[in-house]
Amino acid sequence: MPYLVTAIIKPFKLEEVKEALRGAGVLGLTVSEVQGFGRQGGKTETFRGSEYKMEFVPKVKVEVLVETSQADKVVDLIASSARTGKIGDGKVWAFDLDRLMRIRTGEMGDDAV
Amino acid sequence: MAVILGGKMLGILSLLGIMKGVTWYFDSAAGAQTSAPIVHTANQLISPINTIWVLVTAFLVFFMQAGFMALEAGFARSRETVNILLECVFDTCLCGLLWWAIGFAFMFGAGNGIIGHQYFFLHGVSGAYGTTGVAFLAFFLFQFAFADTASTITSGAMVGRTGFKGDILYSTCVSGFIYPIFGHWVWGPGGWLGNTMGWFHGLAGGTVFRDFAGSTVVHTVGGVIALAGAIALGPRLGRKFKRDGGGPTPPHDLTMASIGAVILWFGWYGFNPGSTLSAMDWTGIGRVAANTTLAACAGGMVAVLFVYPRSKKWDLGISLNGFLGGLVAITAPCYWVSPSGALIIGAVAGIVVPLGVDLLERLRIDDPIGAFPVHGMAGIWGTLSIGLLATGQFGIPTADGADNSTVVKGLLYGGGTSQLVTQAIGSLTCIVVVGSVALFVMYAIKSIRGSWSLRVSPDGELEGLDLHEHGTPAYHVEFGQGMTYSTPANLPRSGPVPASMPAPDKTDVPV
Repeated sequence: MPYLVTAIIKPFKLEEVKEALRGAGVLGLTVSEVQGFGRQGGKTETFRGSEYKMEFVPKVKVEVLVETSQADKVVDLIASSARTGKIGDGKVWAFDLDRLMRIRTGEMGDDAV
Repeated sequence: MAVILGGKMLGILSLLGIMKGVTWYFDSAAGAQTSAPIVHTANQLISPINTIWVLVTAFLVFFMQAGFMALEAGFARSRETVNILLECVFDTCLCGLLWWAIGFAFMFGAGNGIIGHQYFFLHGVSGAYGTTGVAFLAFFLFQFAFADTASTITSGAMVGRTGFKGDILYSTCVSGFIYPIFGHWVWGPGGWLGNTMGWFHGLAGGTVFRDFAGSTVVHTVGGVIALAGAIALGPRLGRKFKRDGGGPTPPHDLTMASIGAVILWFGWYGFNPGSTLSAMDWTGIGRVAANTTLAACAGGMVAVLFVYPRSKKWDLGISLNGFLGGLVAITAPCYWVSPSGALIIGAVAGIVVPLGVDLLERLRIDDPIGAFPVHGMAGIWGTLSIGLLATGQFGIPTADGADNSTVVKGLLYGGGTSQLVTQAIGSLTCIVVVGSVALFVMYAIKSIRGSWSLRVSPDGELEGLDLHEHGTPAYHVEFGQGMTYSTPANLPRSGPVPASMPAPDKTDVPV
């Protein structure tokens, strides 16, 4: 069963995460710009001298497909390379996939990673 | 008793000082100008016509700020857009006040060959400036727009990592001191480069340094200070250069950058033709406007063709930098060269600019906008080109027409090498003097501890200058109604909060 590892991280940590994953032999990943809030409940910014609430803070979502044996290692790698120790570092989670196919070849499962 | 008396005396003295100052200030002719009785003869129309010309072109030059804002913001990353826009606005306001207080006096006041010291706070201005026949304050406005341009060019190479307080400090030095004092040397009354060539009198062979609209005074000055800033700052965090396996950062909005560049081209129709300060030299302004256009066309096209063989792509970014380089180069020689000369000058600039971009990449200097290749290197080329391509037909514009009694002639038109040598002396003086002063200023500001340093903190740079320095991103996705009101953070949110959950640390700014 291949795993999908998903992480929400601080945008400026993306390069470090990418390099760490590449170093561990991960061949591809998908990123998207996302916004959200966590425990800090957004943040306060200012416009024309007044405060406004940025309810949704910009984050980057990283999605990596990995072989079963790699899942724990990849989760740890993302966590260690995305960590600043300050609030808003994000989350990383993984779940196994019922189906995974490489579209070009039709390979299935771990072969398709 | 003595203490009380001493205190009283101090109070009285300062009151007298204020009264004296206020009287001096409002005594200025800028407060109450008196005009001569209006007599409608042809002669009396020269000044109004020239003043209209100078004002119209001043407005065009001022509009170049919009071009700089759009070009710089478009070429940069989206996270520093607000920063670039505010820098341009704030620098314009700052420059205006400094220009009124000291800049204009240093540059255009009477003094010696090095610095002017007349017209501080526009005190003692007359109806027309010098022998120009142009309303004094119209001339002041025109020259303010020029000073503002020099100050804005500088920020281009420093994009993305300059703290805003650091920007205020260096901009004050550029607009208040470096630009006007160097400008005095070339354009000021009695300035040594523009009149006597000072110590280099013997080498100049009777010629003086020529810079019609500012390839050196505005663009080389701006470009060299920009380079000094980029060197002092160092590259943006994470910027890798070609020889280290990296490359330039992609622009975030080429639509905006292209429109900005074309606005600059449009503004140049004020910059160069307006520098005649005289519409009565009507053949001159026509020639200058045409030469300006041809150089821009040649620069834009040659730059695209120059990079095509290596990338096999038709490159928009380099075409913008290329025609801007052509415009910068033609700025100094525009009055003295022929249209075909202008084509050559622009075409060479179209090669100088991409080579300059390569050079900075090689030297690991991070100039996100290309300010030094475009303004510095093309400015140097344009300045030198007078010594090669001046046709020997044209002298200087005056209030009531062209004065061709002393012509400017370059090497290729049989004028010998003296004008070329003079141009090289002027350009080199600019690079060495302005370059070393600028390096000193930039490193001095960088060495300040804390938030007034030239470079923003690494945290701020990683967060992006827009949020860190200005509190507003230029672009964001609106969810829901796009309103930002919400439950205040200090009220309990809906849903149970686990007892184990730590309270968010409000001093810990999330990024």
